[in-house]
Amino acid sequence: MPWLESRSRRINYELTGPDDGPACILVNGLTQYIKLWMPFRDGLVARGFRVVSYDMLGQGQSDKPRLFIDQSDQVEVLRALIDTMGPRPIFVGGISFGGVIALRYAIEHPDTIAGLVPMSSFAEIPPQLMRLGVAMRTALVLGGTKYLQDLLFPMNFSNAWLEAKADIIDLATYRGWLINDVYALQNLMESFLEFEPLTAKLSSIKVPTFIMTGEFDFLTPRPLQDSLRTHIPDSAMVIIPRAYHAFTLEKAELAAYLMARFAEDVMAGRFQGKKSVWIGPEEVGGELTPFPEGFDHLRSIPVRIKAPEPAIQREPAAS
Amino acid sequence: MNVVLGPLEKDGRIPPHQQTRIASFLVSAHAAQARQLATAMPLRIRYAWQLELHSQYCRELEIISLLTRSTTWVPDPQLFFLMWQWEMAWQPQPVHAAGDHHEALLVDMAALGHAVHAGIRPAALLPESVDPTDPFVVAMRRIEFESGRLIQAQILFLKGPQLVAVRDDVAAAVERRHAQVRELWTAMLKGMNVGIE
Repeated sequence: MPWLESRSRRINYELTGPDDGPACILVNGLTQYIKLWMPFRDGLVARGFRVVSYDMLGQGQSDKPRLFIDQSDQVEVLRALIDTMGPRPIFVGGISFGGVIALRYAIEHPDTIAGLVPMSSFAEIPPQLMRLGVAMRTALVLGGTKYLQDLLFPMNFSNAWLEAKADIIDLATYRGWLINDVYALQNLMESFLEFEPLTAKLSSIKVPTFIMTGEFDFLTPRPLQDSLRTHIPDSAMVIIPRAYHAFTLEKAELAAYLMARFAEDVMAGRFQGKKSVWIGPEEVGGELTPFPEGFDHLRSIPVRIKAPEPAIQREPAAS
Repeated sequence: MNVVLGPLEKDGRIPPHQQTRIASFLVSAHAAQARQLATAMPLRIRYAWQLELHSQYCRELEIISLLTRSTTWVPDPQLFFLMWQWEMAWQPQPVHAAGDHHEALLVDMAALGHAVHAGIRPAALLPESVDPTDPFVVAMRRIEFESGRLIQAQILFLKGPQLVAVRDDVAAAVERRHAQVRELWTAMLKGMNVGIE
């Protein structure tokens, strides 16, 4: 497994897929590590992509700074990884925390990538997310990594998945506990709780951007993804049916198919974002459907968008 | 080299010579913490943050007491040399950039505490097949769990506003203590044919 040096820190990363393929770089979320990308990664490799997955600074086998992790360090790691890929189309996908790093990268280095895929991500921390984040930090501090994971499982997955995977959840929790350190996760969480909102800078993202959101994601609900869509000029948002926050794990093949399809559309010059909203297919190979016109995609019940009030014609002021 | 403790005894317990070596290391490290905290604490508590020191002092004593009572001890001649080596390492290394001598000692104490609580993960060395009701196993899990809480005092202090101006020196001191603790911990484990690198 190769190692990357960035600002004297070692990053554990993995390369898969054809040497000469277009690249997809995957940025993980909190408590995740390289191996958890495997089914998603395999979906991309099957479609001819060269995939880079890595442990974010502070997670997995990558170095864990003892006291401070700056988001700029995470962006620098991503830049160093992208540099190793040479001249080829490069697509960056990030989930949750990883999506924030991907967004920051696209803002700071707009000319180095061909496309961006924020998944279950956000550019600001409104009160609900802040309180959830603070509660998760407290859970980590008082209850340890395992307690945090116990909280995250129901936030990330559907009942069906939790039921089907009941026999491996203990093992997954154990591995997550083993590979992560409390202090490092705490540093990572604090770097996000203190971060400056990116919303005002999103308009500087010039690359085609495909925002992916789970229909039932209540950890980072749809308005957070929609804020990305309305601010990033060449963007489209797809709602993945019946998906929760961690759909790169629960619906890995479908999510990989959607990312690959976006990248293929960009490379073929077919992608037209237009800040559009789509409903994703239920299965790999299915088509995207435009969100029904006239309905509010931010509601859970079918609510029609109110027609704008006609402007009142004013009489010219008497002189 | 094994990545976990063992091979286990027939009854699923950690071999006594491994228990003895690990418990000795932990007693040495946590006793050093307790001594330093006792020195740093005033006889009469005047400020709220000093309560945190007192609380931590009590938890360190609890850890030592737990270890002495849950370990199956056996004679280990090498401990004479090892204990001397460990005790020398815990000697104060004041971080003079932090301010006066007292402050310099406090930063080092916190750096060592950070390294001991974050860098040593005894529960991660337990094999999956270990008897979960064995008092030594329970103690290892308890100590690792408590360390996650105890380290909060060090994190708050080391990241606190009073040390912002010397952030790089503080970070370097923490790195030094981590490297030192890790070296001693891995050497001790290697002596039992257990490798965590």
